[in-house]
Amino acid sequence: MPLERVSQGFKDISMSFQVNPLNLDLIALKNETAIARSIRNLVLTSPGERFFNEDLGTDISTLLFENFDFTTADLIKDQVGRIINRYEPRVDLIGVEVDSNPDDYTYNVSISYKIIGVDVLPQKLSFALQSVR
Amino acid sequence: MSLVNFTNLDFDQIKISIKDYLRSNSNFRDYDFEGSNLSQIIDVLAYNTYISSYNANMISNEVFIDSATLRENVVSLARNIGYVPRSRKASRARITFFIDTTPFTNKSTTLTLKSGLVCTSSSRFGDQNFTFCISEDITVPIVNNIASFDDIYIYEGSYITSKFTVSSEGSNSSQRYILNNANIDTSSIRVLIQDGPLTTNRIKYNVSENILNIDSESEIFFLQEIEDQRYELIFGDGIFGKKLKENNIIECSYLITNGENGNGIQSFTFAGRILDNNGNLISDRISLITSSESSNGGNEIESVSSIKNYSTRIFSSFNRAVTASDYEALIPKIYPETQSVSVFGGEDLDPPQFGKVFITIKPFHGPFLSNTIKNNLKNLLRKYSVAGIVPQILDLKYVYVEYNTTAYYNENKSSGANEVGSLISKNIEQYAKSVELNKYGAKFKYSKFQKIVDDSDDSITSNITVVSIRRDLRASINQFSSYEICYGNSFHVGNMNGYNIRSSGFSVKGIEGVVYLSDIPKNTTEGDIFLFKLKSPKSPNIVNSKIGKVDYIKGEIILLPIYITGTEKNIGGEPIIEISVSPESNDIIGKQDLYLQLDINNSSLNVLLDDISSGADLSGTTYESTTSYTTEEILIRE
Repeated sequence: MPLERVSQGFKDISMSFQVNPLNLDLIALKNETAIARSIRNLVLTSPGERFFNEDLGTDISTLLFENFDFTTADLIKDQVGRIINRYEPRVDLIGVEVDSNPDDYTYNVSISYKIIGVDVLPQKLSFALQSVR
Repeated sequence: MSLVNFTNLDFDQIKISIKDYLRSNSNFRDYDFEGSNLSQIIDVLAYNTYISSYNANMISNEVFIDSATLRENVVSLARNIGYVPRSRKASRARITFFIDTTPFTNKSTTLTLKSGLVCTSSSRFGDQNFTFCISEDITVPIVNNIASFDDIYIYEGSYITSKFTVSSEGSNSSQRYILNNANIDTSSIRVLIQDGPLTTNRIKYNVSENILNIDSESEIFFLQEIEDQRYELIFGDGIFGKKLKENNIIECSYLITNGENGNGIQSFTFAGRILDNNGNLISDRISLITSSESSNGGNEIESVSSIKNYSTRIFSSFNRAVTASDYEALIPKIYPETQSVSVFGGEDLDPPQFGKVFITIKPFHGPFLSNTIKNNLKNLLRKYSVAGIVPQILDLKYVYVEYNTTAYYNENKSSGANEVGSLISKNIEQYAKSVELNKYGAKFKYSKFQKIVDDSDDSITSNITVVSIRRDLRASINQFSSYEICYGNSFHVGNMNGYNIRSSGFSVKGIEGVVYLSDIPKNTTEGDIFLFKLKSPKSPNIVNSKIGKVDYIKGEIILLPIYITGTEKNIGGEPIIEISVSPESNDIIGKQDLYLQLDINNSSLNVLLDDISSGADLSGTTYESTTSYTTEEILIRE
């Protein structure tokens, strides 16, 4: 019988570095919020940005300047899926959708995943990717 | 848990240390996930620690002479133990030319070649033109209308003069006298001190290397290398050396040289200035320049590794030559032309010669030291050596290593055998010139040699190399002499029927024609040497069955008194007999005064197609194999 995985919860620091007025400690990100933030960080990190780990990250910042078409959207989708599967062991990826919105040069990314070991509903994280010169 | 491992030089290890700390000291738990904010902060912390550790490590490396890498730090550390690194050395040539004054209307009695530029290299040498100078005027008399400048030494480079005025006022309170040029030959530095701008009298100050025999009136200066390979003059303080006075003018002239790049030039064009004793400039009737000695002796500044090596040894010898290693440290200092030196005490010899120390020196240029240099060196060594020990400088004894290499190559990866062959030759040539081989106590490393051949090109698949060692016996012609030839390496007895030793031809009194020597083993440790003639290349005829003996273990051939009347080979007019053998071990060492030389000219290199690797003959049916042993059919050296 396989062992049941029980998570003790996740707790990450907030990059805003603001103080929580109730306990006067740094604001913390917990569980689903922490994981969503982590996924977002992974997707928006470029390879070579992190010290001594040039594999971590995606080429999305470069792809945003490629031709605005379905091929690029597919490449973004692949990259998002790959980075989550490789570097975020806390989630079980359900799917990634990338919708291109040519009118305002934006890709809408929607990521669905289940959090492993925590009894919560499947999560959905959506954000828009837009090239900024 | 405390954060303890903060000197680690591995980024990942530092990161693990920080994570371990967080694991036990924090309620944040997302440090393990690369995407988390905490992981990014840990990365920054670890990187900061890593850089700090790296800097601390580099700084502590530079504090010790063994581990320092930056030249100015190594020089500075060597300075602490009183060592001045050798500077660049200008190449020197000897030239002759004359001036025919017959048509001159103003008759003069002498001509003076002014100091400074004398001539330039006639054609571009490599990618550069070189200029040659003299440091002082040379005056010669005119005899029978000819003024002849015979055998004058000229030095490659340009003479520069720097002037300083001694002043202790204002910003000059800690005045330094820095020669602002790199590439100076310090042996050319001349320092003249003038009392002040209103006097013309100048006194020459000499460089001093230590404070022995120096008092408050000694007209000396010290020299030290500072950053960027420049030099600083340091004058006395009134206790050790005469102190300079206010407004003294220091005039320092020196040579800036191209070092070893200026070697090997033998064709010159006159570019100097000649004045007669009336002050008239002579610009015609100057003969062509002939060089009796092409430029040589130019050398680069002492390398960092050499400074590390010699500075500590000079320090440990305290300027006294007592042990063999003291001599080894001192000789390069007093004779900078030394490429390699070997010293051993007479007690090590067989039979021992107590009270003697034997020195052999390999100069950078040429194989031997002249007798004049040997005598000079002996005189210089007297200052350092201990009474009762007699230093003797011996001539070099070369042990030549010859190779017979067959390299196989894959033609799919190369454009041809010639190209592969030239790449291999080039690499072997480099190895032959390398410091690893050109020193006393050197070792010819067989496996390394094979690796050099294999790595010469991607197309080379394998190589078979057979090595032999050779010494050249200098024959005493037309007199009875006995000879002892030591190889310092055991011989391989491949054939108990003899002919393991091969020699070049020579002639002996009482025997008509050319004879050769070889061996016949009594057992695996010793054998006899005999003389034979050749009826045909493979058919010997023994003419004297015992003219000496051979010790295969010691690697020694002894010839009983023999009257040699001539030899087939000679080097520089000296008759020699080449004697070669197969060594017992393929790694060959240069013992005591034996100096290894990889003899490329007497070696052979064959490049063959590897049909198996190239796919032309996958089954290997037509594969041409090469023997890994010396061919027994060859009885003599051609």
